[in-house]
Amino acid sequence: MKPQNPDTRSILAAEYVLGTMRGQARRRFEHWLKSDPALRREMGRWEARLDPLCNTLPEVQPGAAVWKQIEAQINPSRDPASAGTTSWLGSLAFWRWTSFASAGLASVLLAFIVVNTGRSDPTALDEAMVVVMEDSETRNPSMSVAWATEGRGKPKLRIRVIGHAEMAPGTAWELWALPNGNEPPRSLGLINTHETQWVEVPEELRHQLNKAAGMAMSLEPAGGSPTGRPSGPVLASGKCLRI
Amino acid sequence: MDALDDLMARCAMRDQRAFAELYRKTSGRLLAVALRVVRRRDWAEEILQESFVNIWNHVSTFDRVRSAPMTWMTTIVRNRALDWVRRPKHETSDEELDGIVENWADDAPGPLDRLRHAADSSALAECLATLSGQQRQSIALAYLHGLSHSEMAEHLDQPLGTIKTWVRRGLERLRGCMDAAAA
Repeated sequence: MKPQNPDTRSILAAEYVLGTMRGQARRRFEHWLKSDPALRREMGRWEARLDPLCNTLPEVQPGAAVWKQIEAQINPSRDPASAGTTSWLGSLAFWRWTSFASAGLASVLLAFIVVNTGRSDPTALDEAMVVVMEDSETRNPSMSVAWATEGRGKPKLRIRVIGHAEMAPGTAWELWALPNGNEPPRSLGLINTHETQWVEVPEELRHQLNKAAGMAMSLEPAGGSPTGRPSGPVLASGKCLRI
Repeated sequence: MDALDDLMARCAMRDQRAFAELYRKTSGRLLAVALRVVRRRDWAEEILQESFVNIWNHVSTFDRVRSAPMTWMTTIVRNRALDWVRRPKHETSDEELDGIVENWADDAPGPLDRLRHAADSSALAECLATLSGQQRQSIALAYLHGLSHSEMAEHLDQPLGTIKTWVRRGLERLRGCMDAAAA
């Protein structure tokens, strides 16, 4: 039985983080963690409380071979095209999108999107993914993307641009899927400033799309990024949620 | 820590130069963490290597609202190291453990002092100081050195139940003290 008492739960989380919880108990605790966000938060609090203990250890520099092996593993086939995204990367506070989950406004928006997506799409989205993207500057939701995870043919992304967006002449907005793991961003095409629009993407992207961690929208020259990778600043980004 | 946040964000965008920089900045501390637990340099380096590959592959799941980059990475390394020592045949040298126990005793100037002077650690240091020496030692032995309750019981020559009580009371007290300090 999973304990309900907050003190008991907290001490279990502490013993898990400390490492004194072993064997079957540890595996059972890990199983609880999967479906218990409050328990995960308590574990996180213990990680933060105890982590400074590591500051008492004098640093030990690893041998040069360690980095070489890491490099070989993360980069099995050296791809020269993967270089050259740094100007874009340097300019973006990309990680901000993770704070999305805490934004109350975004949740309201999410509910709105879900309802509206279902109504306007004749196939009705049973299983869908949605991304609420935040403006990189203001951190306010500025657009959303939703699509059905199942279905035949080309996946159709329903895009809503919030407010009265303006696009500078000679520029374009390009939408990118951000994969989990070791892959670069994948272009999903150009979008415009219309409040509601649909973008079709090649069918073979469906799997990647459904597994994407997030999406970003970058400012590009007219016609889109010349390099196939994001080349301008990120205007908005957000995390994918399954609904 | 903002610099690490930025590096993590760039790693999520598959920027390998940022990843190299992240490694340069954090591998010394993370290797120390692994080494304390497994106590063999070749093993610790293997753990470090596996952990960094994991960090690269899962950096997009890192949530900076939930945890600091260093805490997140340390957790990955510690869990990997703890898995390692739970394999059978792992041995602990008694001399080394004696050193730890002494270090964390009441009047020892060692680690507790270092902790007081390290950035972001003073609350933990102050709160650890309110624990009994036995509580503090058992928490340090478990957290930094990966010892189980029974290994501590054997080494400190105490009944298992006593060790469990030290750990639990120590944790409860630590939580109370740190929550009060943060409030």
